[in-house]
Amino acid sequence: MVVFIIRRTLMMIPVLLGATILCFVLVDVANDPVQDRIFEIQQSTGEPVPQSTIDALESAWYYDRSVPERYWIWLTGIGETNDDIGLIQGKWGPSIEGTAMNIGDEISARFWITLRLVLFATLASIGIAILSGVVSAVKQYSKTDYTLTFLGFLFLAMPIFWLGQLFKEGAVQLNKLLGTNLFQTYGSGTTGFRGNGWEVFVDALPYLIVPSLVLMLGSYAAISRYQRASMLEVMNSDYVRLARAKGVRNGTVMRRHALRTALIPVATFAPLALSGAMGGAIVTERIFGWRGLGVYSLDAINSGDTFAVMAYLLISGVVVLIGVLISDILYGVLDPRIRYE
Amino acid sequence: MSNISVTTGNGASRAVGARGDVVLKVDDLNVAFPSEDGLVHAVRGVSYELRRGQSLGIVGESGSGKSVTSMAIMGLLPKSAQITGSAKLEGEELLGLGDAELSRIRGKKISMIFQDPLTSLNPVYTVGFQLSEAIRTHYRDVNKAEARKRCIDLLDSVGIPNPQQRVDAYPHELSGGMRQRVVIAIAMANNPDVIIADEPTTALDVTVQAQVLEALEKAREEVNAALILITHDLGVIAGHTDEVLVMYAGRPVEEGSVDEIFYEPRMPYTLGLIGSLPRMDEDRGHRLTPVHGTPPSMLNMPPGCPFRPRCPMHQDICAEVEPELLPINGTGHVAACHFSDQLVDKAPDDVFAAVATDLAVEAEVEAAEAEAAAIAEEEDK
Repeated sequence: MVVFIIRRTLMMIPVLLGATILCFVLVDVANDPVQDRIFEIQQSTGEPVPQSTIDALESAWYYDRSVPERYWIWLTGIGETNDDIGLIQGKWGPSIEGTAMNIGDEISARFWITLRLVLFATLASIGIAILSGVVSAVKQYSKTDYTLTFLGFLFLAMPIFWLGQLFKEGAVQLNKLLGTNLFQTYGSGTTGFRGNGWEVFVDALPYLIVPSLVLMLGSYAAISRYQRASMLEVMNSDYVRLARAKGVRNGTVMRRHALRTALIPVATFAPLALSGAMGGAIVTERIFGWRGLGVYSLDAINSGDTFAVMAYLLISGVVVLIGVLISDILYGVLDPRIRYE
Repeated sequence: MSNISVTTGNGASRAVGARGDVVLKVDDLNVAFPSEDGLVHAVRGVSYELRRGQSLGIVGESGSGKSVTSMAIMGLLPKSAQITGSAKLEGEELLGLGDAELSRIRGKKISMIFQDPLTSLNPVYTVGFQLSEAIRTHYRDVNKAEARKRCIDLLDSVGIPNPQQRVDAYPHELSGGMRQRVVIAIAMANNPDVIIADEPTTALDVTVQAQVLEALEKAREEVNAALILITHDLGVIAGHTDEVLVMYAGRPVEEGSVDEIFYEPRMPYTLGLIGSLPRMDEDRGHRLTPVHGTPPSMLNMPPGCPFRPRCPMHQDICAEVEPELLPINGTGHVAACHFSDQLVDKAPDDVFAAVATDLAVEAEVEAAEAEAAAIAEEEDK
């Protein structure tokens, strides 16, 4: 098992490299920050921009070389640099926002905010989806089943930005109605709050509820449908019938024989919800005013901040790969027919 | 071989009644399933008595209600099934019991072996876990070590080599025959009064079939249980049962001892089944006599004998009156046919025509043969 995990982790490196090359090329052809900046300066001053300024910009952002060279220097930092680039040396590259904005600091501060949202939403969606999928299957064609099915398809069909606004407005109205401050709908925590880990967590909870609810609903719908189908299949299987024929009580059969086996296909699929949540976080954070990675990436894309976009893509790539790794490991834990060799 | 009838601490060595007592009495069992097109009457009045130590064979085509009858007795049918009649196990009514009461009886007094050993065991648990689950569900005071020991004994007694190692194997590590033995071991784990085997050898190849049936026979003898063997294999019936119940379209159409059914069948369907079976004592060129057609739809059964459309002997009365099971000669042999007395000393060939199932194919074969003969003739010239 340990060998498998190590090998699987090592295999993530070429996958990640491939992904960064693809991302880098796409981001690079999509914008040209130097030209944008020249245009901006021209607009504000009304005069042609001197060549020396252009050269300075190009060399500061490494746009004085070709795309492959730029990729190489972004990845390794080997070559002629201003000592601010080179991923493997822990330097994320210059931001076009100026030297005051350090991409590394910015990302590490925001990463935990986004991770909190994404992890909470993913875990909640998997847990609730399994529960409701099982209930749906056990009570197939009942009112409960139809209600859950309807809700599932509703959430699957609703775009997340619409759902987000709806829930935000709903939470605000609910707060007014109850006269409480139970649901916080703006920001990720009380501004300037300081305390130990637990206090910060307690402080962040009211801020977390509504956004993670919005973020979880999409993947909840998909996973619960999946769980329902796989549970129904197992419930009609011969071994569930045999278990009942052995005299095992119905509830125990459902838990021990049906659910246990029906979890296998879901476990391989559910951790991938992590990648869906990473993407959904961009919209959710914007709606709820979180200063997380998603919003950062959106701003970076809008301003054509190549290295900042790359940093975001790299981190979400790692998160997705970790999700895949978890699903691989879960598969092996749940299904004895899988062997790691 | 360990003595398995006196194990499992205090519980499993239950009082065993005398041979010949009635253990299972099924009376006018009816099962219907609602469907979009109406009620499907899968079982229409099945009655039989099973005595301790007796082995009852139930034969019939697919869809004749063999399996549904047993599943109804075990309470394993879906909730939508409408069941009437009675099934009494040692005087206790089984039909209509709730999950709690049924769970107490299932696996302890009456157990079941299913058709497909490849899917009968849960792939994520070891054989030992699934076997000891059968024991510990009913005897909670049995600890894990005792249960494991008993599992090994059980696996040994159904003929699994190296039971000490196999007890920790997962189902996918065993062959089909081995898995069916495990299922048999599960069925005999608590010394049940009745074992229902629903086509236990259908999914296995012929060499393994014999071994599995042997294991089943041995299991039955060790726990002195009554056996219901459901199959469509007449060879298996001949070798392993005392009494035979022939079912057609959800009803028993003939019942009698093995000898009566095989040598003095009094219902054309039984005769047809026997005629469809290749025999070692016939010539190689002997043609089989198939029963043409298919069983009737169980939706909106027409009045009269359900076998009438396929019966070469049918007359006007068969379309109007469905025959009752009538005694043949007072020995307990009963048959449901208006003309059972006409079947005395008849061979299958006398009643059913020996033709290929598909007349079009037959014609094609004849044409090809004629062509070959013509070519041969031409070459001779």
